[in-house]
Amino acid sequence: MTDTVRLIIDGVVHQVPKGANLVDAAKMVGNDIPVFCYHPKLAPVGMCRMCLVELGQAGIDKDTGAFQLDDKGQPAIRWQPRLATACTTVVTDGMAIKTTTPQVTEARDDIVEFLLTSHPLDCPVCDKGGECPLQNLTMRHGPGESRFLYEEKQHLAKHYPLGDLIYLDRERCIQCARCTRFQEELVGDAVLAFHERGRRLQIVTTSNPPFDTYFSGNTTDICPVGALTTADFRFGARPWELTGVPSICPHCPVGCNVSASTRLDRESGGKIVVKRIMPRQNESVNEIWICDKGRFGHHHSRHGERLTQPLIRQGGKLVPATWDQALALIAEKISAADGDVGAIAGGMVSNEDLWELRQVVENAHGGKDHKSLGVYPYRLSGAEWVAKVGLSKGSNFGQMGKGTTIVVIASDLSEEAPIWYLRVKNAADRGAHLITLNARPTELDRFAKSKLKISYGGEIAALKSLTEKPEVKDAANVVIFVGGEGLDRAGHATLMQGAASVLTSTGHAGKVNNGLIGVWAGANTQGAFDLGYSSEATESLLNKRPAVLILADADIVAEDAANVSLLAHREGKFTVVSEMFLTATAAQADVVLPRQSFVERDGTVTSGERRVQRFYTAQTPLDGPRPDWKVFAEINRLRTGSKPKLSAAAVMKEITEKIAAYKGLTYAELGKVNKQFPDVGGDDPYYGGTAYENKGGLGVQWPTEADQGKVPSVSMPAVGKARKLESGELLIVPIVELFDRKPAFAASAPLLHSHVPAPYVVLNSGDAKTLNLVDGDKAILSSGGVEGEYTVRVDAAVPAQTALVARNLNLKSPTPAVPMVGSIRKVEVVASHV
Amino acid sequence: MNILRGLLTTVKHLPQEKVTIQYPERERPTRERFKGRHHLKRYDNGLEKCIGCSLCAAACPADAIWVEAAENTDEQRFSPGERYAKTYEINMLRCIFCGYCEDACPTEAIVLEHDHQLSFTNRRDAIYTKTMLIDPPAEGMEGTPRQVEPGVYTRSIPEMQNPK
Amino acid sequence: MANILLREKDIPGIGQYDTYVQHGGYDGLKKALGMKPDEVIQVVKDSNLRGRGGAGFPTGMKWSFVPKTEGPKYITVNADESEPGTFKDRQILEYNFQQLLEGSLICAYAVQASAVYIYARGEFWDIGPHMEAEIEKARKAGWVGQNIGGSGWGCEVYVHLGAGAYICGEESALLNSIEGKLGQPRVRPPFPAVAGLYARPTVINNVETLANVPQIIVQGAAWFKSIGTEKSPGPKIFCMSGHIEKPGNYEFPLGLTFRQLIEAAGGVRGGKKLKAILPSGASGPLLPATDKVLDTALTYEDVAALGSVLGSASVIILDESTDMVWATLKMARFFKHESCGKCTPCREGTYWLLKRLEAIYAKKATPADVQLIEDVAKQMQGKSLCALGDFATSPVMSALKYWRDEFLAYTQPQKPAPAKAGKDKVVAGGD
Repeated sequence: MTDTVRLIIDGVVHQVPKGANLVDAAKMVGNDIPVFCYHPKLAPVGMCRMCLVELGQAGIDKDTGAFQLDDKGQPAIRWQPRLATACTTVVTDGMAIKTTTPQVTEARDDIVEFLLTSHPLDCPVCDKGGECPLQNLTMRHGPGESRFLYEEKQHLAKHYPLGDLIYLDRERCIQCARCTRFQEELVGDAVLAFHERGRRLQIVTTSNPPFDTYFSGNTTDICPVGALTTADFRFGARPWELTGVPSICPHCPVGCNVSASTRLDRESGGKIVVKRIMPRQNESVNEIWICDKGRFGHHHSRHGERLTQPLIRQGGKLVPATWDQALALIAEKISAADGDVGAIAGGMVSNEDLWELRQVVENAHGGKDHKSLGVYPYRLSGAEWVAKVGLSKGSNFGQMGKGTTIVVIASDLSEEAPIWYLRVKNAADRGAHLITLNARPTELDRFAKSKLKISYGGEIAALKSLTEKPEVKDAANVVIFVGGEGLDRAGHATLMQGAASVLTSTGHAGKVNNGLIGVWAGANTQGAFDLGYSSEATESLLNKRPAVLILADADIVAEDAANVSLLAHREGKFTVVSEMFLTATAAQADVVLPRQSFVERDGTVTSGERRVQRFYTAQTPLDGPRPDWKVFAEINRLRTGSKPKLSAAAVMKEITEKIAAYKGLTYAELGKVNKQFPDVGGDDPYYGGTAYENKGGLGVQWPTEADQGKVPSVSMPAVGKARKLESGELLIVPIVELFDRKPAFAASAPLLHSHVPAPYVVLNSGDAKTLNLVDGDKAILSSGGVEGEYTVRVDAAVPAQTALVARNLNLKSPTPAVPMVGSIRKVEVVASHV
Repeated sequence: MNILRGLLTTVKHLPQEKVTIQYPERERPTRERFKGRHHLKRYDNGLEKCIGCSLCAAACPADAIWVEAAENTDEQRFSPGERYAKTYEINMLRCIFCGYCEDACPTEAIVLEHDHQLSFTNRRDAIYTKTMLIDPPAEGMEGTPRQVEPGVYTRSIPEMQNPK
Repeated sequence: MANILLREKDIPGIGQYDTYVQHGGYDGLKKALGMKPDEVIQVVKDSNLRGRGGAGFPTGMKWSFVPKTEGPKYITVNADESEPGTFKDRQILEYNFQQLLEGSLICAYAVQASAVYIYARGEFWDIGPHMEAEIEKARKAGWVGQNIGGSGWGCEVYVHLGAGAYICGEESALLNSIEGKLGQPRVRPPFPAVAGLYARPTVINNVETLANVPQIIVQGAAWFKSIGTEKSPGPKIFCMSGHIEKPGNYEFPLGLTFRQLIEAAGGVRGGKKLKAILPSGASGPLLPATDKVLDTALTYEDVAALGSVLGSASVIILDESTDMVWATLKMARFFKHESCGKCTPCREGTYWLLKRLEAIYAKKATPADVQLIEDVAKQMQGKSLCALGDFATSPVMSALKYWRDEFLAYTQPQKPAPAKAGKDKVVAGGD
């Protein structure tokens, strides 16, 4: 037993992990030491003094390792004269604490009394009331009656905006510094700080714009009082009235476990609605964090512009129709197409939907045909390498540290997958060797041990050099994130192969905490790949569109300049679109089917780490929209007379039978929850309080080939020819911006609208000079026949002859999906004469 | 003999005042502490006492109360402090008039008054909304919402006092 | 006897490099450089020099805690002299700076440190340029910089001015302040000797402590021990202030009595009767002027036996005219103002104490409030992160111990009825 030590709590000897924090160790064996400032995810600071205990050390016989005993036969313990803070103590063998003596109890009572002297006691109007650690601890330790005079309380600002998302109540703040430490230690953006001293100590934001971070909402969760509240949920409901429904964030491939807090709502006609989104603890996925996009981006589910009935094109116009009419028409058209049917699925189509959609296409073809099942966006591919040497089953970024090398190539994780950014950053802080390979600076560079600047097109050459690097070659573990910035589909597939080659050639495949991750674009892109969809198919479907094209959650018109006129209604072609909103794509369809949002239905999605996870019905569904799987199953019934399945669970059961990787992943299996540490979900006086509890399942990662012992040998692809640019030509490189104008997100988070930048293009200072452009100028960018107006940003760190354009900011004139050559010209502002 | 004794009792009561009254023509005055239909009270200046804290709903053993809160602004102020009741409904068919809501209220906003003549012909009519429950502002006082001077009504519980 | 620390009293201009060298300056460093670092530490250990900043921790022991690992180590000179009634370090910095500089360089050599940071309180802004000028002179003479005295060992000296916070006299808050962070104490362990400034091993010494070092090296540990008492050897500067005829700094060997000290400073002002003594500024408990107290020798252990502390020996004299409630209130206000706010008991306790003491002084309190402040002070004790929380209670606790009657005299048996707002007139709204 080298990894545990003996800890004596109130005379009882326990075995606890060596090197554990005393508060954590006590919690593990069932003793709740109360805390305010301590948080298991943050370094201890010993500020609140709530965790005071009597601390001592038992004498240990050097030879036998047994305790030296006193005359009563109990371990002889030397007690320290002063109370010690448990949170700043690390357990050692033979450590002893007393937690129930009058001295300790009084100390805890005293601290609570002190805290309450400057607390406004406005629990009735406080959003934290009901899930508040201070309230819980006051119930246990608080004085029955205040000795502090109410009129001597300080009166401070109650509604101080820390940015436009988070409000600070300065009276309620107990100066525990959890929020400032979260920003400084975990996020690496020290945008909050203490100002002043003593009783005037207060939280301020030091950034401009204020509280400038993608993770601000998490501070409201870890705040042990109601000092920080989100503008989104202020007074939305009392916590005890809310029902937490497990869900999965639909916005990016991380697959953050969230909990949708729901309750009835009068304004929504007495229906159950989602009031807020909270993180749900899953230590292997998102721990207890979510980004602001996930937290605030749920309002689309009951947006007024949601489609609620099917639309059929009649006389060039989309007119409302019944489901029966729409489905009958689709079935008829499919039957008439004689097998010329294809489907493209976007990022948030659940596995069940994908499966039933596949049945539609395969039935039309009369057999398997993966060439007609496309993934959108299609610029990313190479999923077969993930199936071979993907991140191994059981890997956890939370456990990575010294000895692990993490490589991030062609991706800006902070924009594409913020929680991966957070977890990679923290692994780097714990000693992991982070290598970033990008053509431009990214946020993660700040924490990288080596930043390798590459040119767009030089990715493979850079990967090759990695194989020789001792930090990769000799590392215990290697994880590679492969993004698609600056690459087209073929380029990304090659890069994925290259990364797989690095892993296999250095012996880093098939071991826990090793493997490949594709930074996909959607929450269930991985699931689509798993179920037989591919980017290659999308490419061919778009090049030669089939007679019947079914688009589910794929806004191909607004997101890709190349497709603007693809759907323009043509004789003999039939387009079916399943969407929540009347997107640019839907507007050109022949039949539009209203989809359900993620909170209105159940299903499963597969994260970028191949974790299959369940989401549950949280909100009363709108009248009209149906889940896709049901719709597609109905089309099949109409065409073949097959018996549709009754539930999403039944569809998943079929998937588990037909798809080898998903074997055994039934809903029951996916819904299992094991005990996790830290134990943060309860209402205990430890760091409980907020609704982190996971009741919906931890999900299951499906094993790669390498996990099953079949490590392939992968050859490093040849270094391709770099794109040659003529002088004066510009390479337009689309990049990802977290907050964009995709309809589902734009409708999602009205609060975040001001955080979405105006469409912009970033130019190298040399190019800008040549083009006679300065920061803030308006310029017209033309590429692939589409022109759009953008604001110019000049950045010396951008490669020459390159224009970075953020995707999905200007849906009227979309950016190209993949890098292409284009041009830019200044918009001359005609000076107005007054 | 016993019959006579019984009759005597009857005769004794004859000249006494009748216990029964002709309701509804005549009404017996309710006792001071009678718990009838709820009223939502206002401060003397006309602002609503209810802050939408939902504690009444939490205390209600019959689950008869429904509260939804929203945020006050100085342009649109309903109650002092930040929070007010946007929706306040009591289902009188469910209510058992126990008065727990009154006990739970931190601002003494809800008071069970003396009206007891509650009848409905429709289940939906049994749900009393905020407009039905709230008292009108005192004579000459402005009602709610109203525009107020900024920074004056900053506390939800303006009467909070020292322990006595 | 000639002054050892306040040498400018004997030799005017000793603070200037040239004068200092003429009078044996840098002989100590020269001698130290000829010894092994461990031998230097041993001499200081043998001398039994104790820290003059207040805690009285043996200096040589402190130096020996520094691990002999590779990598940078630092010396920090604590010149954040903020204790009320303390003004000894300022005199050394202003008039005998070279001696401090030499002492800190000897210390730096002993632990093989690469830099000395002199952290002076913000109010010493006018001494800063003087110190920097003197450091430059020493650098020109080869005592600062690379390869000092041909030893191969180099050391830089920096002057850092604080921003005016009492708490930055606490060593870990001082380190935070130098690092540009908020001046709040750190959690220990790790101790500064292991992970101090910039997470490197660091020795933090008071100005006066280090000013003793050159002479200890030159004249030896035995000489030093011959001054003062056995357990508290050496000279000490006593800062005399308050109701005293001749306030100022006085250098005496440790071990003279309060009575002798007061006589040396010309006695109580105006011939009044002595009432109380604050032996260690605001942070030490008050002592009543009894014969027992007056005849106590000024050593670390003897003052501690009285239930107070010698601390930095900033002796504040209070005569019979002093209102103890007023004096306590004044100190409570000081601590409330200076509490850094990091830990709960100190942040909330000092505020609470002040509020109630103000009420007592304004005669708006009851005897229960006197009990309350005692309870609150007790409640603060032993719970705070650094010593400030405990310091803040000592004037209150000691004043209540000896002069409780004065507090009670301010109170009224019944609380004055607050202006009762008629229920009818209650108007909703703010405060």
